[in-house]
Amino acid sequence: MRRWIIFGLLIAVAAALPLFLDARGYWIRVLTLTLLFAAMGQAWNIVGGLANQISLGHAAFFGIGAYTSTLLLINFGLSPWIGLFAGAALASVAALVIALPTMRLQGHYFTLATLAFGEVMRVIANVWSSLTGGPVGISVPFMAPDPLMYSFRTTVPHAYIALLALLLVTAVFVWIDRGAMGYRLRAIKGNEAAAEVIGVNTMRVKLSAAVISGALMGALGTLYVQLALFFDPDTAFGLVPISVRVALIAIIGGVGTALGPLIGAAFIIPLEEFANDLLSSGAAGLSQIAYALVLIAVILWRPRGLVTLFDAVSSKVRKKP
Amino acid sequence: MAYLQALLDGLLIGGVYAVISIGLTLVYGVMGIVNFAQAEFLMIGMFVAWFAWAYLGLDPVVAAPLSFAAAFAIGWVVQGQLIGRVLKAPAVAQIFLTVGVLILIENSALMLFGSQFRSVTTPYQTMSLQLGPLFVSVPYLIAFVMSVLCGAVLWWFMGFSWFGRAMRATAQNPTAAQLMGIDTAFMYKMAFALGVGLTAFGGAVILPYTTVFPTVGGQFVVLMFTVVVLGGLGSVAGAVIGGLTVGVVQSMSTLFFPIQLQNLVLFVVFILVLAFRPQGLIGAAR
Amino acid sequence: MTKKFLDGVLPMSRRHVLATGGAALVAAPFVRRAGAQSGTVNVGVILPLSGANAQFGINSRNGIELVADEINAAGGIKALGGAKINLVVADSTSTPTTAATVAQRLITQNEVSAILGAFASSLTLAISEVTERRELPLLTMSFADQITGRGFKSIFQVVAKASVLGAAQLDYTRAIAEAAGQKLEKVAIMYEDTAYGTAQAEGLRQAAKKAGVQVVMDDAYPLGITDATPLINKLRTSGAQAVFPVSYLNDSLLIIRTMRQQKITIPAIGGAAGYVIPDFEKGLGEFAEGVLSISPANYDLAPELTDRFRKRFGYFMVHEALEHAVCMDVLAQAIEKAKSSKAEAITAALRGARFEGGWTKAMTGGAVQFDDTGLNTLSVPVMVQWRNKELVSVWPKEYAKGEAVWKS
Repeated sequence: MRRWIIFGLLIAVAAALPLFLDARGYWIRVLTLTLLFAAMGQAWNIVGGLANQISLGHAAFFGIGAYTSTLLLINFGLSPWIGLFAGAALASVAALVIALPTMRLQGHYFTLATLAFGEVMRVIANVWSSLTGGPVGISVPFMAPDPLMYSFRTTVPHAYIALLALLLVTAVFVWIDRGAMGYRLRAIKGNEAAAEVIGVNTMRVKLSAAVISGALMGALGTLYVQLALFFDPDTAFGLVPISVRVALIAIIGGVGTALGPLIGAAFIIPLEEFANDLLSSGAAGLSQIAYALVLIAVILWRPRGLVTLFDAVSSKVRKKP
Repeated sequence: MAYLQALLDGLLIGGVYAVISIGLTLVYGVMGIVNFAQAEFLMIGMFVAWFAWAYLGLDPVVAAPLSFAAAFAIGWVVQGQLIGRVLKAPAVAQIFLTVGVLILIENSALMLFGSQFRSVTTPYQTMSLQLGPLFVSVPYLIAFVMSVLCGAVLWWFMGFSWFGRAMRATAQNPTAAQLMGIDTAFMYKMAFALGVGLTAFGGAVILPYTTVFPTVGGQFVVLMFTVVVLGGLGSVAGAVIGGLTVGVVQSMSTLFFPIQLQNLVLFVVFILVLAFRPQGLIGAAR
Repeated sequence: MTKKFLDGVLPMSRRHVLATGGAALVAAPFVRRAGAQSGTVNVGVILPLSGANAQFGINSRNGIELVADEINAAGGIKALGGAKINLVVADSTSTPTTAATVAQRLITQNEVSAILGAFASSLTLAISEVTERRELPLLTMSFADQITGRGFKSIFQVVAKASVLGAAQLDYTRAIAEAAGQKLEKVAIMYEDTAYGTAQAEGLRQAAKKAGVQVVMDDAYPLGITDATPLINKLRTSGAQAVFPVSYLNDSLLIIRTMRQQKITIPAIGGAAGYVIPDFEKGLGEFAEGVLSISPANYDLAPELTDRFRKRFGYFMVHEALEHAVCMDVLAQAIEKAKSSKAEAITAALRGARFEGGWTKAMTGGAVQFDDTGLNTLSVPVMVQWRNKELVSVWPKEYAKGEAVWKS
């Protein structure tokens, strides 16, 4: 219950903030990015948290969504709103393709196989220049503000769309978690062999989780590039800027919890910005060192995620023998 | 003919991949931790060897033990103060702690040593031997020989020394090991320090033909993980087989596919191998 | 243990402390700097100061600082009553979207009037999406063709385009070879596969086609390549008379060394970046001697200016530092011309304009002239050659400071 209050409060703050911020300014952009990454972390959470499969290749889905909607826009003038669904559809196909060979892989093997997939997509995007523009990257075409074409004059609509996206992905997460699929996923997490024995179709459940997660991530890819406007294979399929960051956000916040990714994003994105703002003009590398030190400190302090901070009372109760 | 040359080149460079990856698999095997910061110790080893060359006039291969020692010491502290604290934490926390350590080490090197690209000049750097129509690059050959030596020493150590056996015991069953009087915390420090030391050793050995700069680790990190997982996490023999395989695949793929797709081919092979052998080539079946 | 320690220090009011601490952190940036006080002009400098391009970013920053300090020492911007230039430096990191967010921050929080940066084309392109929508001038030496190819009105590029650079790399080489009595008919192209290498290789390819030169090897390689042997094996069997590698430093050293190992002595003509920095010579020693490379600009064209850099920073003025210095000078001149520190006014003063004197003399062409796409039409690439640890301009004849030495 406590966690839902926190969630509600944070959402309320996020919804109110755009009214006070410079509509084309810096803070609204940070807010939008925070919300988008929270949504991405939540999409990742479906596989990483509920199915306990740490994926470091979610950029594959993200990039597919990003390139699909943008290429459809550039080549056919198709509105990104529709391109969004096309991207999600293609991303879910990719999720299927990735999930099949990696189905039986345990723990770290799964993680590294997904990493390999992300890299495969990045190299393909880099090499297939005739389709994707190659390493030089592509831009969402410069156009006059037109809501039907996902082009806005200020950043405010982007922020609200991101907020809605976060709520939607969280709703999907909760629906899975509380529903039959979540029950089956927990069974698999506990003991996969036993789950099979009692009749859980482990393959179908894991595949479903992967496809849902992938599709959502693909859609978020579209939202992201409509804000960022320019991207290249290293951005859209990037191991560090997307795959690792998204997983990190869910983990710092609290993997497997609905509140985790939002807390994680609200912590990590502003932290990166502060470190850059305050320290990057000084000695080279200093801002990154500060960032890394804070990251290490938080993981050591709360290895199960910042969300456990809000369980202060319950943990104190548990401490009594 | 071109096949033979590619195969030879692949084996030579595969040997090097093996030696820099052995440390990673050792750390996993004993502690169960996937150390994303491993490649940073490669960088540390390379820097130590470079400074030894620049200020002491030592050939990097000769300075390799120094690199080992430096990384060993740093690894000991990192394990004791940081990694050791999350051994009981969820695997994801461990992974991302090592990611934090990666960023820390890389940028500390940037701050301390600057961003310049440094390399050594050694007399044998541009030499190659000719076996008939085949070229054998001398720096690669030396690196390969050192890798074999290193592997042999490690094999002896793990199999026949008290420390090695204690480490394997700790890996197999920490509780039982403790009951037998082994200080597991000490063993973990040993394993980690040894693991990163080996990677640093590898770094010194490859310095003659590469350059060192703070972000050089990034070029090797995905390769190292591919080698280790392909061979089977935790298996030293797996790291060797994995290394050779990766080297050969990378090299021979350039005969059939554009060089630009080198890594793509490697990753596809990697995924296919895992699809059919989920525990890696040598890894123990679960 | 850490947990117990922290529990002892922060008892029940843990959350309270966090809340106040958090609030303070959040408030801090709002509380800081007010806008440009009259008396200063804020200029944003966004460069990769960490990550793989850190060295180039730091070099570039040095170039900008040199010129900004000179201008301030000479009395600042006279048209604004001696207003001093205040550089607001930030790390772009290697991620384009972060670079764009940083640009946004510099614009709204630091109230910069213009931005210089960001060395890598992808970073510059991302930043330009932000600056164009604000009509804020962005001055750069990134040279991907796209930069000036989108019809943007507030981006200004002081060097020739990548395709022009690539074409010059080939054409100048043919001319130099011909002057030495060799006709080039078969060449090899190899390039790292980021925007830089790919764009320049296209220029090389087109120029070869136009000149009727056969490209017997045309291969991209992944940027972080750790082994150049497959490339050189292919080169050896290709029968090329000259090779045109477009690389950063790590790969350039790998390529040249492996060529030596396999006793390949055909001339290598580099594509700038890794081939024209001091580390190249330091890494290769005697094998660097005589290596040719194309470069967007070179320091020996205006030693009276570039020697100041060498004196202050201890190494010769690498081309990215030089070009960024020119950007800073041109910007200062534009602010003088506009008599205002407002971004739109400066953009208007830059558009289609010609700038002379000061550091513009260090560019080929002796001045800077922007066309309506923002490209400096006077900039002509130069071919440089390593001579005794220095880069000497050797082609075209009107910029040459030394004779080209061609070893076939």
